[in-house]
Amino acid sequence: MVRRVLSLPSGRIAVCVLAVIALLAASGPLLAPQDPLAAGDTPLAAASGAHWLGTDYLGRDVLSRLLDGSRVSVLGSLEVALTALVVGVVPGILSVYLGRTFEWLTLRLADTLVALPFLLFAVAVVALLGNGITQAMLVTGVLVSPLFYRVSRAATLAVARSPYVEAALVSGAAIGWVVRRHVLAKVLPPIAVALAQTVGTGFVIVSSLTFLGIGVQPPAPTWGGLLASDLGYLGQRPWAPVAPALLIMVTVWACNVLADALRDVSGEAGRALLNSRRARAHRLDEADPAPAGGTR
Amino acid sequence: MLPPFTHPRTGQDRHPARPGHRPARRSRLRTAALGTVLLTVLTPALSACGGDSAAASDTPTLKWASSYFPSHWDPVVGGSGAQFRELALVYASLTRTDEKGDAVPDLAESWDYNARGDRITFHLRPHLKFSDGEPVNGAAVKAAVERAKKQKNSALFGDLTSIESVEAKGLDAVIHLNQVDYQIPQLLGERVLQIASPKAARNASALDRNPVGAGPFTVTQIVPGTKAVLRKNPDYWDAENIHIDNVELTSAPDASTVVSGLRTGVYNFADIDPSQAEAAKKAGLDVFVQPGFNASNISLNVNKAPFDNGKVVDAVRHAVDRQEFVDKLTFGYGETTDQPFPKGYVAYDPASADAYPYDPARSKKLLAEAGYQAGELKLNLVVPAEDPQAEIVQSQLAKVGVKVTIKIDKNWATPFFAKDLAFSLYSTTGRDSALQTLTAHFGPHGPLNLSSPYEPSGFEAAAAKVRRTPLDSPDYAEVLRAATRAGLKSEALVFTYSQPNLIAKSRSVSDLPRNPAHIDWTGVTIGGH
Repeated sequence: MVRRVLSLPSGRIAVCVLAVIALLAASGPLLAPQDPLAAGDTPLAAASGAHWLGTDYLGRDVLSRLLDGSRVSVLGSLEVALTALVVGVVPGILSVYLGRTFEWLTLRLADTLVALPFLLFAVAVVALLGNGITQAMLVTGVLVSPLFYRVSRAATLAVARSPYVEAALVSGAAIGWVVRRHVLAKVLPPIAVALAQTVGTGFVIVSSLTFLGIGVQPPAPTWGGLLASDLGYLGQRPWAPVAPALLIMVTVWACNVLADALRDVSGEAGRALLNSRRARAHRLDEADPAPAGGTR
Repeated sequence: MLPPFTHPRTGQDRHPARPGHRPARRSRLRTAALGTVLLTVLTPALSACGGDSAAASDTPTLKWASSYFPSHWDPVVGGSGAQFRELALVYASLTRTDEKGDAVPDLAESWDYNARGDRITFHLRPHLKFSDGEPVNGAAVKAAVERAKKQKNSALFGDLTSIESVEAKGLDAVIHLNQVDYQIPQLLGERVLQIASPKAARNASALDRNPVGAGPFTVTQIVPGTKAVLRKNPDYWDAENIHIDNVELTSAPDASTVVSGLRTGVYNFADIDPSQAEAAKKAGLDVFVQPGFNASNISLNVNKAPFDNGKVVDAVRHAVDRQEFVDKLTFGYGETTDQPFPKGYVAYDPASADAYPYDPARSKKLLAEAGYQAGELKLNLVVPAEDPQAEIVQSQLAKVGVKVTIKIDKNWATPFFAKDLAFSLYSTTGRDSALQTLTAHFGPHGPLNLSSPYEPSGFEAAAAKVRRTPLDSPDYAEVLRAATRAGLKSEALVFTYSQPNLIAKSRSVSDLPRNPAHIDWTGVTIGGH
């Protein structure tokens, strides 16, 4: 699947962008040219050789803060996506096999979670448990998990009624073996699409919460927090919000493009892509000089 | 012409154009484009035309965007903090302050002390009524004081400790004091004793939603937390000097949008953040600083480690660079202060100025003497919300080797006023009575003294001397400064800077009286009305 994604221009672009973001998250604090927390003598300074993106209201280097803040944003969004994945996929698959009571319970639970506004819920949890991005993201991940529940359940239902799965069960295969051998392979592509989308959604959620000053203790920098503080000084630095806003926008866009690419190369569409490649390769073969003794 | 929308991968038009309909589509596109251009051009122009709608209107209307929109309309619950200015639209008090900060008549036309100075009689103006028709008399004053002292959710009881009882004698309110206290006329002004109708106050929760006072305006509509609409009170004692017919008080939106609101006429008066001052000036608005008593401080609890060590306290004092607060937080509109008052105020003590100058080297030395090497001392600074002040404190203490972690506690007020915190920040808007400001900060049970019951030696005696000194005594200023000097021996407070009361208004609104810390609408006109 990776090779098929990379064969698409949009897939290559998305992977490149996300690789850069991942690099920033891993080594951003090391790349920061200055101490992101050190207040300077030149608040709200314009971009210069010393401060490529200028300084904030306390004279701190904006580029260093952006680089340092990338880790919180990336880890937060991954936390949302992975929590949702674990909490949603396992009951989604098992709901097909563990009987009607489990199915009814998980479906109603998923309906309930969908009805809860996750941003407000995250704010409430932070108020209850203390200001921290981890607890906020864990709760958000649980509230986003119905997406994975439904995707994995729908894919499992489609596979579960296949003759070869029924044949395996009739032959005495254990449910766990059937799930590992037949179901997971069919369920993974739509889950991968949902995961890429959820990472993008996670970025928006992390940025929204940190924009509101929730989840991170000052003066720790975050992309959302930088955007919020810059908006207060538009009169002095009208272009200041562009950098954090652009970073958030490009990252979310790359996640969505990657999700599109994954969708395009998986399932029927993926097989069609594979077939068209084979056909093209076949046509190239046909263009070769005809061998002696006639054509095949 | 706009290209047809083409799907990037399939190469198909999502809405393939039909040849016969192309001219009509072009025409529609042109109309839409023209419409958009006209809208873009005309909207700012039309908005600008409406910029002084209040001026153009026949009825002078004050459109006030306030950062301190009252969360409570019952003055007893609202307390003596910054919201008193908005509540003063509805409620009047026994006294008010003039431009020198002295107490002058309001509902009371005069007052006098007995010879010992432990009883004061306020003589109320005759024929005054609250907006519900109840008379303004001694009984109303008695009810107001007793409610402030006894109501369960009163935020004022700590301000009225000198008052023993109130006796109502027709239009006279006789206040019996438990000690000699000549501060009472200043104390019972707009901040501490805004008087509500006793009939309305019988249902305090209803009063909190629907205020009934005898002030210059009466409320016609309140949208809780958002907006209040008021109209002039024709029965106000000084109604002839109130030239504003209507008031629309709105909770200020985000600081960065207030100036736009002022420019487009949505508001014609607003308190603004210093970061917006230049934008307001460029927009042609009248920007000014209303004098006040604002003072911010770093609160230390000397009952808790490490501040139980005087050397650590002194190290913090020498680590604070006050000018940085002024430069970065007030854009030069504020000023440094090392006392609970701004410089130049009668209670400001020049002899105590700059007692602990910024000296990071000395601070490091004191920390070493206290047994803390660089990086060893770790402190939690607890604040109620994200606050650049906290970040500056953190940064300044980091320079002397103290690691500060900022903790945001949404329920900060509970541990702060219970004196459970070790290290925090507080900003006061001051009090009309300078002595009240001093006792609030340095008194053993002062609400702003994080180290209660600690008090600096000699402060109680100095405060008592101020109470015993009449306000018009030639010695008053010196006695007051001596009390400030005694209070500043406290190790519990490090004062940093004075935040300006920065206001932007439309030029159609005339200048306000420069009463310190107050917003007085007497004589103010809108659009020349």
